[in-house]
Amino acid sequence: MPMVTKIKSYSVQFSQWLHAETGIAALVVFRIIFGLMMFAGTVRFWTKGWVDSLFIQPDHFFHYYGFEWVKPMGEFGMYAVFTLLIISSLFIALGLFYRWASVIYFILFTYIELIDITNYLNHYYFISLVAFLMCFLPANRSFSVDVWRRPNIAVQKVSNWTIAAIKFQLALVYFFAGVAKLNPDWLFDAMPMSIWLQAKTHWPIVGHLFAEKWVAYSVSWMGCIFDLTVAFFLLSKRFRPFAYLALVIFHLITGMMFPIGMFPWIMTLATLIFFSTDFHEKIIIFIRSKLNVKVRSSIGDNSLILHGFKKKFLTGFLLAYVFFQMLFPFRYLLYPGDLFWTEQGYRFSWRVMLMEKAGTAFFYVTDPETGKRGEVNNCQFLTATQEKMMATQPDLILQYAHMIKQEVESRGLKDPIINAEVYVTLNGSRSKLFIDPKVNLAALEDDLKHKDWILDF
Amino acid sequence: MKRFLRLAGVVLGLLCLSSCGPNGPGDNVEYSDLFENVADNIIVPRYAQFQSDLSALEVGLNAFDASDVQTLISLQEQFKATYLSWQSVSVFEFGPAAQYSALLRINCNSFPANVSKIEENIEAGEYNLDFPSNYQAKGLPAFDYILFHVGQNELLNELSNASRIAYMQDCLADMQNRVDEVINAWDTYRNTFVGSEDNDQNSSLSLLFNQYLYDYEKLKRDKFSLPAGFATQYGIPLDVDTSLVEGHFSKMSFQLIDANLAALENIYLGVGEDGTDGVGIFEKLKEYNAQSTVVDGDLAVAIQEQFAVCREAVDQYTNDLPFEIVNNISQVQETSNAFQKMVPMMKNDMRSYLSVTVTLTDADGD
Repeated sequence: MPMVTKIKSYSVQFSQWLHAETGIAALVVFRIIFGLMMFAGTVRFWTKGWVDSLFIQPDHFFHYYGFEWVKPMGEFGMYAVFTLLIISSLFIALGLFYRWASVIYFILFTYIELIDITNYLNHYYFISLVAFLMCFLPANRSFSVDVWRRPNIAVQKVSNWTIAAIKFQLALVYFFAGVAKLNPDWLFDAMPMSIWLQAKTHWPIVGHLFAEKWVAYSVSWMGCIFDLTVAFFLLSKRFRPFAYLALVIFHLITGMMFPIGMFPWIMTLATLIFFSTDFHEKIIIFIRSKLNVKVRSSIGDNSLILHGFKKKFLTGFLLAYVFFQMLFPFRYLLYPGDLFWTEQGYRFSWRVMLMEKAGTAFFYVTDPETGKRGEVNNCQFLTATQEKMMATQPDLILQYAHMIKQEVESRGLKDPIINAEVYVTLNGSRSKLFIDPKVNLAALEDDLKHKDWILDF
Repeated sequence: MKRFLRLAGVVLGLLCLSSCGPNGPGDNVEYSDLFENVADNIIVPRYAQFQSDLSALEVGLNAFDASDVQTLISLQEQFKATYLSWQSVSVFEFGPAAQYSALLRINCNSFPANVSKIEENIEAGEYNLDFPSNYQAKGLPAFDYILFHVGQNELLNELSNASRIAYMQDCLADMQNRVDEVINAWDTYRNTFVGSEDNDQNSSLSLLFNQYLYDYEKLKRDKFSLPAGFATQYGIPLDVDTSLVEGHFSKMSFQLIDANLAALENIYLGVGEDGTDGVGIFEKLKEYNAQSTVVDGDLAVAIQEQFAVCREAVDQYTNDLPFEIVNNISQVQETSNAFQKMVPMMKNDMRSYLSVTVTLTDADGD
């Protein structure tokens, strides 16, 4: 068979598989887990006082490139958004007004994440993506309030792609987190694992081992191998139970070591989706028996199978999504220099717990007419978190310089010269000058091009 | 289903362990030795000292006799002692001191004094010291002004006016009430402080470290860079203004800076008020075998040495800071550089090793 025909036949097979049917149970359980986890996460966020400290207290916000227009909405507005997030997450879990709830949840969650880039976390990005996918999935078509209200929408089968999309998203997080660990520092220097373990030597029983270099190496390598392979093992029926056990242990340990909040819980429960339809049906039966909810006898005979253009469009869309997700983490290759140092193309790439980086930034404003120069008091503009995040990320350093420029100009000093003396340490390296202290940051444009004023690592 | 339940049980059990595992109650808390030493041998005794200095100031104020210059001199001396003792508690602006009803830093030491507001208040005889507009018209800076702004003879004359004494008494009572409240609150807060786990935003580790850093940066900027003209206000470079120094009228600027540095140094070293050397940040960094990234070698020693460099730089001056700013700006600049060098040692190195979360929220390490 010629190559082209071969590929064509594969892609036909793949398309057929995407649209073939499977039981809906896994999707339903995932909907419930996702909704409840988002509910718990939002309540936790609120009770920790973060709505106030992250969205109301700060005077300035660091924006994402291209999203300068996203602004916080003030105290009432922000609490209203969080209230809606709580309600919509519960509605998702219940499968009540599911389509609306999932769209509202996706939009509002993404909105709060876009307000300030210094809050960026890979797992927030992950949740945004899953929430986006959820908007398109028929996760409310069984065991939901929507079905109870309108029994005629119930289905028993969904297309493979609906569950595969979530699995893909989950697998991506692990796999790319593993790929990111394939770097000399992580593998051949056990950095920054050595630093992190050093801080846990007070742990009972195993604590004293953490000071040993070989332990740091073992943990680094095991973490890397786990991340790279776990998704594949989860896909295999034979290895699934072992892979899942390893996954639980992995999240348990990372949850104990790092302040990563809900992340271990979310990943541990979300990956249940890799289990079989039988398994999920048992969960549903179990919940039914606990809640004393009866199965409705009149189950509709609906089919969600798409045909013709719709089917083609969906296949195309899914392929585009997958390609984008696979390629986007590699955009850093377009930039020169050390990725961890410059962080150009660092975000949105599942680079989770990879480096220990700290910085101290002194900013100076010079009046171009008088030559008078003074050090900026960072806490007059930024919160402690913002200052810390800004001090190690060149694009945020530039944004901050522009904030200062705006502040200074609004107070009557035109065309200030703004320099920054920033000292950064990466994975225990010598703290050294991060950017050219002579460059006038106020005169630079913020863009996606290589920032040639970042000094070499 | 049974298998699933068993699995679910294991999962939940394991996950539960993660939140109440090695750091669970009853287990040894990583920093408990540090917190204990800091609370029992540093914080509580220092507040007690400040409280007793305020009482002595009260005695001096009540004993003041405008016809007896000796009473003025002893009042002035006691004020100086009190201002120095304040330097050792300013850093503890968390927990009780950070309560709205206390807010010690802003209520006791908002400098420079607002001289016209003070005079206005005394003249009016009616004022509410709780108003934010009076922050700079009360506290220690108000004493600094009232007790030192003119020569002795003129001062005796001025202070024969009972309203000036009454104003100082009110300012004193304002401080005393707040300090008493803080000391009482520490009775119960002590156990909270010592038993604190983890390193989230409200953990003792974060509170102590962040306030430590804040107090140091305040010292560097407000007490030094600002009057020397090295700083900005909302980004605008400022001119030299020697009247901005702390202890402007009593000419205590350098003594106060030195006392503040000494107070921070002793917390760092874990030296208690009775002089016993206990567990401080120094010992913790030693335990971690922490290496400095700012200079070569051991981090614990590097910071200790930088404290020595800073204090030496301050001690070498013979006059007060305003004089040195006007006559000796290059040396002042050098001292500023010494202060500056400490900042990355704290922010880049100390923070990493103590794994303090300045970040308010969860992290994923980027």
